[in-house]
Amino acid sequence: MTKRVMALLLTLCLTLPGFAQAAKVKIGFVNSITGPEAPIGENLSNGVTLALEDLKKKGIDVEMVKEDDTGKPEKSMAAFEKMATRDKVAGIVGPYSSKCANAVAKLAEKYKTPLLIPVASKDEITRQNLKWTFRLSATTYDYATILIDMATSLGKPKTIAIINENTDFGTSGAKSAKAYAARKGITVVAEEAYAPGSPDYRSTLTKIKSKKPDLVFMVSYVADAILLMRQSREIGITPQAFLGAGAGFATAQFAKEKEISNNVFSSTQWTGDVNWPGAKEFDKRYIARFGKEPTYHAATAYESMMIMAETAAKAGGNQEKIRADLKAGKWNGIMGEVSFRDYEGYTNQNKHQMLVEQIQNGKHETVYPPKYVSKKPVYPFPGWK
Amino acid sequence: MIIFIQSLISGILIGGVYALIGIGLTIIFGVMRIINFAHGDLLMLGMYMTYYLFTLFNIDPFVSIVITIPLMFLYGAFLQKVLINRVLGALPQNQILLTIGLGLIMSNTIMLAFTSDYKILSTSYSSSSFNIAGISISSPLVISFLITACITAALYWFLMKTDTGQAIRATAQDREAAQLMGIDVKRMSIIAFGLGASLAGTAGALISPTYYIFPQVGSAFTLKAFVITVLGGMGSIVGATLGGVLIGVAESIGGVYLGAGWKEVIVFVLFLLVLLFKPAGLMGKSKV
Repeated sequence: MTKRVMALLLTLCLTLPGFAQAAKVKIGFVNSITGPEAPIGENLSNGVTLALEDLKKKGIDVEMVKEDDTGKPEKSMAAFEKMATRDKVAGIVGPYSSKCANAVAKLAEKYKTPLLIPVASKDEITRQNLKWTFRLSATTYDYATILIDMATSLGKPKTIAIINENTDFGTSGAKSAKAYAARKGITVVAEEAYAPGSPDYRSTLTKIKSKKPDLVFMVSYVADAILLMRQSREIGITPQAFLGAGAGFATAQFAKEKEISNNVFSSTQWTGDVNWPGAKEFDKRYIARFGKEPTYHAATAYESMMIMAETAAKAGGNQEKIRADLKAGKWNGIMGEVSFRDYEGYTNQNKHQMLVEQIQNGKHETVYPPKYVSKKPVYPFPGWK
Repeated sequence: MIIFIQSLISGILIGGVYALIGIGLTIIFGVMRIINFAHGDLLMLGMYMTYYLFTLFNIDPFVSIVITIPLMFLYGAFLQKVLINRVLGALPQNQILLTIGLGLIMSNTIMLAFTSDYKILSTSYSSSSFNIAGISISSPLVISFLITACITAALYWFLMKTDTGQAIRATAQDREAAQLMGIDVKRMSIIAFGLGASLAGTAGALISPTYYIFPQVGSAFTLKAFVITVLGGMGSIVGATLGGVLIGVAESIGGVYLGAGWKEVIVFVLFLLVLLFKPAGLMGKSKV
């Protein structure tokens, strides 16, 4: 008799997910764990690690399937196909970079597997009317606008030079900067797209120096960000401000190179001292756990994993329902208010508030918009030491 | 005008390092008639050696070449003695497969050991520069250019004046005749490959302070070294020096006047033109 009751209870537990103690969900996570983007990928991995701990506390047991895309689109596509067909995950979080996310977005449509992109910001990714792709972060257009808005609020820049890596993220960032600068009446005096990995950007930078731009806008990953700033110092470029569009400029590795990183502005999706619920605690917990400051990538990955896993657990792994719930849901966590909406040609795009930080003495400080400021911005650029 | 001179100077300085890479490849080709496709990976090994000597033992990258050169020489000599000497008489495609395979093994071993993360070697002078008449010149590049010049001069003296050097040149001119004259050609091959490897390693050490390091960094330099060697004339040291500087300048000036994305195009158009009008290369003597 007792056996029968037990069996009945167990069946009930299985059929009513809300009733179960630990709901189990299978979530895929594609990230650049090795390769050129690995220093940033590490932030995403750490953010997800913290998310899994918090989910466990909430009674959601996540079985995570992790794949490394080494920063190559074809590898992320292979990882996505494996997760969608062989592992049969409920939903997928990732991949990190724009080129990878852009390649994978169409696969989400094909395999009808919900994809939540934490931080890849190429504009076009959510502009293709894709029903199964969601994006938490702001887009490259927002990267450029917030920086230019800040510069025009602090000074009167008339000219801008744009330097970008000739990849998806770089080209998209440069295009947005050019469009927004034109709207603000700032003349683009130089536009240089470079192939990453060259030892010598001096000639390009010399050319830019000769144009005497008021603003220098750069879109680069870690190694090139350091190289470009090093060589800018050598050549002696002194604009009113160096504006870095997130990515390489937002990392601790870059900030650590004080000689070249001081007073450089970087757009960011998140900072450790912003007043969104739980952001400060996340910052502290991250530092205590991993021994370094988190970048915005960690926060976006944390929040994405939380949203995806909670939604998937609630929907009991039903992918059609997960998609509907993501679309209808509203969250308010360390990334502020999140909801996936269709607007201005975007589909399933979260309208996220961007911030600007400036590196002061090897640390990232929030300097814009005024509502979120922690330190006063240094503007114009005081020159090289 | 200042822009032109500025890009000319940085082109020449970076070209010095390219020359060093090219000379190593050309010596190996001259003596063995083998194209060493693992050349860029030897350079990558030099970079990692420099990086760890600097971070673990605090040895300055420019001083560390004193350690890098003999170590890379021994490594190169070992490769030649154990592996490459066996395929000297084999079909060219087998030789190519062997060197490509060696390169893959090297880069993947390093990737396993140190992961594929980018490493950045920051010395106190990595981004320092000085100014002459409005033209800023990178101090680490000037130092590496001077070291390159010294090494090239020493190498030239070694090949021209010493007995071993002459024996190496004799082997390069005609392997069989050299053997008939009593030259130990196998030993000369070992020395030549050792020299080539240590030159590649040195080039790696010299660009480490201003560049970044990762396991696959070699392939770009292998291609560059190949272009430089062919441009200068296969087997000619003066040609490789000239080719290296020429490529450096072409990249730099092309980057300014046509845009950074176009500089590779300039290099290869130049390359094609030289091959079209002087198929043996700038300093090459046409054979056959």
